[in-house]
Amino acid sequence: MSNILEIEHVTKRFTGHTALDDVSLSIPKGKIYGLLGPNGAGKTTLIRIINHITAPDSGRVLFNGHQLREEDVAHIGYLPEERGLYKKMRVGEQALFFARLKGMKSAEANRELRRWFDKFQISGWWNKKVEELSKGMAQKIQFIVTVLHRPELLIFDEPFSGFDPINAELLKREILELRDQGSTVIFSTHNMDSVERLCDDITLINRSHNILSGNVAEIRARMGRGRYRLTFNGSPDALLAALGSRVASSTFDNAEGGAVKAELKVQPDVDRREIIALANNSVDLVSFDRALPSMNDIFLSTVAEYNRANNIVNELSPVLES
Amino acid sequence: MKSNISIIIGREFKERVAKKSFIVTTILMPVLMLAFMAAPALIMSLSSPENRTLAVIDNSGIVLPALVEHQPENLVLVPTAEPLDSAIRSDRYNGVLVIGADVAASPKASLYMHDASSVELESMLASRIEDAVRDQKLKSYNIDNLQQILDETETNVNLSTIRVDDKGEGESTSSFLSFGIGLFSTFILYMFLLMYGQMVMTSIIEEKSNRVLELVVSSVKPTQLMLGKILGVGLVAVVQVIIWAILLGAMSMIVMPMLVPDAVMSQVNALNAGTLDTASASVDVDMLQAISYFGSPVAILSIFGYLLLFLIGGFLFYASIFAAIGSAVDNIQDASQLQSFAVLPIILALVFSFTVAQEPNSTLAVWLSMIPFTSPMVMLCRIPFSIPGWEIAVSVAILYLSFVVMAWISGKIYRVGIFMYGKKPNIKDLIRWARYK
Repeated sequence: MSNILEIEHVTKRFTGHTALDDVSLSIPKGKIYGLLGPNGAGKTTLIRIINHITAPDSGRVLFNGHQLREEDVAHIGYLPEERGLYKKMRVGEQALFFARLKGMKSAEANRELRRWFDKFQISGWWNKKVEELSKGMAQKIQFIVTVLHRPELLIFDEPFSGFDPINAELLKREILELRDQGSTVIFSTHNMDSVERLCDDITLINRSHNILSGNVAEIRARMGRGRYRLTFNGSPDALLAALGSRVASSTFDNAEGGAVKAELKVQPDVDRREIIALANNSVDLVSFDRALPSMNDIFLSTVAEYNRANNIVNELSPVLES
Repeated sequence: MKSNISIIIGREFKERVAKKSFIVTTILMPVLMLAFMAAPALIMSLSSPENRTLAVIDNSGIVLPALVEHQPENLVLVPTAEPLDSAIRSDRYNGVLVIGADVAASPKASLYMHDASSVELESMLASRIEDAVRDQKLKSYNIDNLQQILDETETNVNLSTIRVDDKGEGESTSSFLSFGIGLFSTFILYMFLLMYGQMVMTSIIEEKSNRVLELVVSSVKPTQLMLGKILGVGLVAVVQVIIWAILLGAMSMIVMPMLVPDAVMSQVNALNAGTLDTASASVDVDMLQAISYFGSPVAILSIFGYLLLFLIGGFLFYASIFAAIGSAVDNIQDASQLQSFAVLPIILALVFSFTVAQEPNSTLAVWLSMIPFTSPMVMLCRIPFSIPGWEIAVSVAILYLSFVVMAWISGKIYRVGIFMYGKKPNIKDLIRWARYK
């Protein structure tokens, strides 16, 4: 599997602060890639570098194996977080303008645009001025402008903000469809729920560093190693007594029908089958499952851990118990 | 990506030219300009002064005969022996003119009016009285054939300036006309620089606060976007000036011959042929020259040709400054302070142009017409005074070169400024941004 984008040791400094410090990551073709991180971490700067809007101070960006060139932006579609269109311009004319900037011929752009307008059932908007549209309507237009030229690489910065649930669902479907048609999607967001549902791989950027990269399922499995979720009838004490020193930490909760829900974190070298056997003997086990952490938990704990390790005192950094 | 700049230019141009306000001002402005010029003449010809009757109490006894001998139009002068009080009270008169007893030694006269007087009436009466007193004094010398001598000495000098170029060919233009043309085109340029320069600035601020900019720069280099906008707006200005030139040219060729009376027109023709007897001309020679000048399409073309040359250069130069300022701020309010860096020189240049029009060849004038901040307007103001061609060429070269330098600096500020939000920048920030790698 080749990579559409390789970011290699990219550093970008502004007066007073470093936006990106030696950041490297690879984005595989045909996948949905999540770019995560707290506000101000450097995500937007990275996106601007990928869009060839700003140049890195050092390091390089490879697009389809070659150094990123100005011509490459014709193969990139970008939906910025701060949406904006020319207010006084008519919808159709405006979409054609942006399509032509991306190198499309007028006739081709026109044809594609009609197709999208039909698909979204908004053909009546063609001659409306953008200022006449509602926010949600304008967002749809902006989405069409982003994807119209069939870019190989799509960059969505917080795509779901401002969309109502119905349109957000529509948008999600379209993004998945574009992925299935071969486009690569970079997805910058704070919405961890959508990361779990959509992204194949992620990179977590914190304070201008790449602090976590990889496949979502692998990361969750790795972070969830040694964590189990149990439901049983019986006494928590009996369970803990049976497991003894194998358990590092545990939480218990009452489930429906008098059962108990437990989350266990066991010592690293303990085998799962051993836990199942011991639990099964001590209580009436109803279910046993790996407890995969949510992306939200991973985000919070990784950022907190990084900040702690680097002695970054930040009253806003999340406090996690594990 | 070269073609992208033309797409940007196209959008900027189309957006503005399609506006109703553009169409209206483009067509109405020349009509309004002509109307302003023609209005005073029309008003004068339409409103004939009202008839007045004045009682004259001549205590000197020497003025009245001369006054009554040639009764002026719209004015009836009635000699009266009534005392001033009763003459003033009388309904028969609009007013009373009292001439002092010793008018020759101490020339004093008073005019008592019921209703408003007018400058015209007062100056007419004063000069009549002066003439009467002068004639009276001359007569006291007892010169024979006095009237004949007076008639013979009557002269009306008309100074016409002939500018001689290097080839020795003369061209008759009055300074009055040059002054008018110079200031007229300077003022048009002033309007355009301010209007269109600020248009560039506000439109950049709008794009920025609209956040559409981020989307555009993902397809176009920021400097290309800036240049595209400047060129697009500039093209609108050029089109507007060209339309005005055509409209004004057509009007001056078609409308003017219809408005100017035949008698005047024949004098204009005589002037052009060099056969005009200036003493016998019924109209001021300056006026005749002006009519002759504006009646020729070549003259109009050359005025607008120079206007375009300096409009394009001046606009490009100033629009670059306006663009840098627009990119730095988030809203129009924040721009007011920085804007003065562009607005003040434009206003100063206009102010200087008034001085320059009076002394077009002073050292100050020459220098101001070379410095790019003032050169478009000051040079435009000097051109009608037939200054050397090389001066114009040098001025134009400096101006266009300055644009390239300024656009380069502005481009550097622009590409940093458009991503700066929240902070109101000052000139130091702009200089720092320009120095970024």
